[in-house]
Amino acid sequence: MSHIIEVTDLKKVYPNGVVAVDGVTFSVDEGEIFGFLGPNGAGKSTTISMLITLTAPTSGLAQVAGMDVTRQPMKARLAIGYVSQDMAVDDALTGYANLRIQAGFYHIPRNEAPARIAEVLKMVELQDRAKDKVETYSGGMRKRLDIACGLIHRPKLLFLDEPTLGLDIQTRREIWKYINRLREETGMTIFLTTHYMDEADSLCDRIAIIDMGKINALDTPANLKSSLGNELVEFQFSPIDANEIQSAIEKIGKLDFVKSVTGAGIRGYLASVNNGEASIPAMFEALKDGHAKISHILFKQPSLDDVFLHYTGREMREAGGGKENAARNRIMMRRARK
Amino acid sequence: MKINVLFSDIYWVFWREIKKFFQQKARITMAFVQPIVWLVLMGNMMTGLTNNPMAAKMLGTGNYIDFMTPGIMIMTALFGGVMGGTSIIWDRRLGFLNKMLSSPIYRASIPLGKLLAIGVQIMLQSLIIVVLALILGVHFKTGIPGVICLVLLSGIFGMIMGGISLSLGAVIKSMESLFAITNFLTMPLMFTSNAMFPISAMPVWLRVIANVNPLTYATSAMRTIATQGWIFENIWPGVLFLFVMIIITTSIAIRMFHRSIS
Repeated sequence: MSHIIEVTDLKKVYPNGVVAVDGVTFSVDEGEIFGFLGPNGAGKSTTISMLITLTAPTSGLAQVAGMDVTRQPMKARLAIGYVSQDMAVDDALTGYANLRIQAGFYHIPRNEAPARIAEVLKMVELQDRAKDKVETYSGGMRKRLDIACGLIHRPKLLFLDEPTLGLDIQTRREIWKYINRLREETGMTIFLTTHYMDEADSLCDRIAIIDMGKINALDTPANLKSSLGNELVEFQFSPIDANEIQSAIEKIGKLDFVKSVTGAGIRGYLASVNNGEASIPAMFEALKDGHAKISHILFKQPSLDDVFLHYTGREMREAGGGKENAARNRIMMRRARK
Repeated sequence: MKINVLFSDIYWVFWREIKKFFQQKARITMAFVQPIVWLVLMGNMMTGLTNNPMAAKMLGTGNYIDFMTPGIMIMTALFGGVMGGTSIIWDRRLGFLNKMLSSPIYRASIPLGKLLAIGVQIMLQSLIIVVLALILGVHFKTGIPGVICLVLLSGIFGMIMGGISLSLGAVIKSMESLFAITNFLTMPLMFTSNAMFPISAMPVWLRVIANVNPLTYATSAMRTIATQGWIFENIWPGVLFLFVMIIITTSIAIRMFHRSIS
């Protein structure tokens, strides 16, 4: 099996001491859609930046398309395409001019350029708008143009950094369609980062969950979900003293059908169970002597959201509650897991 | 380093800048309006000056507009050139810089292509000034070869200022700070030079400053070409100065750019 990306103990420490990427190791197979899933600031963009030769790693090895990113950066650049999260296209120019510049940057011969441009325009279905200025494009069209720019030199490997950041839901679906089709039609390997669970779930063959510069889990979305068990119980307590809640969680954690309990931010807590819906009355039974009372409870199948929570110990988007609250929740969760 | 690849990379960076320049109608309009305002307004305001034989002698020509035209070319190059750094700050902000850096182009081609674009824009503006000046009755003593020299020299001067501005833009990273610094530079540079007033009409302290002001070197050479003819001993110091400066500022710009991306 040939690996198109081979990363060994890759590390990036910025001069101010911030450890952005803390020794990650993984490999990506040819033809795969591989996703880095993590919250903002998890180290996704820094990893991409090292893989596309823009940032020098502090230590470790990274090979893309057989080229070492620190020793053969020019060759690596020719083999890979990169689409940043910024939608970096020139508004004042036409779609065609944007692509023409890109073709120039990739040293595509003058007489070949028009055919190449037509080819990528067709791939993202922008043929009809090529002569219009980009400022007249919608958000989705800009993104498609940006993706087309990354395809102009027919790379073996395409990096998409947060491909649907800031787009509305229909447009995101549309972009997913193009990404899927790209793989089908060209067999290209795609490496993407995202902080959207649904995006990782519907696009990626394999996902690496990254948080605080480290990979916490790496598998197919289905395996990641089943690793949590097939059943989850989400519950919340009525407002009460934190110590009481902690002892209640410990009680639940000790029940023999409960595999683990993790905090889920404003959603309360999440218990991975193996006895189906019978777990709900059993949990109430376990708490009947204490002061903590469950106020909401829900039985469900695991989602990638829950997987993320399980592996990183925190929710992807801390929805409100402030820093202090989040920190307290984290401490609670860590205790509960032990 | 393959030289033809380097040239091709520079060309595409340049092409993008020029293409963007021609899309900005406001900038093109201003390229016409600004010299008209300067030439007509200043030329008209100062006509009284040339009625005085002493003043006419200081100006070296009987017509203030004749005196003023090379000065306006230099000023246009000065103001146009110092804006050059903004393009690199924009590219960084919009993510286009990363897009260029992730492509297999030579790093140096980014500042070089941008500088070349600045030079060409300024030469175009200078050409517009020449045409307007001719319409207003300005007489260029050295004819067409002289005009070509004037346009080239103002382009070189613009690239010198552009190199300084790009170097600043590479390190500063914020538009507001860049403007603060370039404004601080341009105004004193202009008013302590002979772009608008002859040195012989200045107080002694200002003459000392004017004589070391880079703007004065460029202006003197260009003004000699425009109003007096091919008097080489008045031209070569300015030309030499411009050529030395452009090598220095361009090298610094490339260096600063490299440093800012590593």
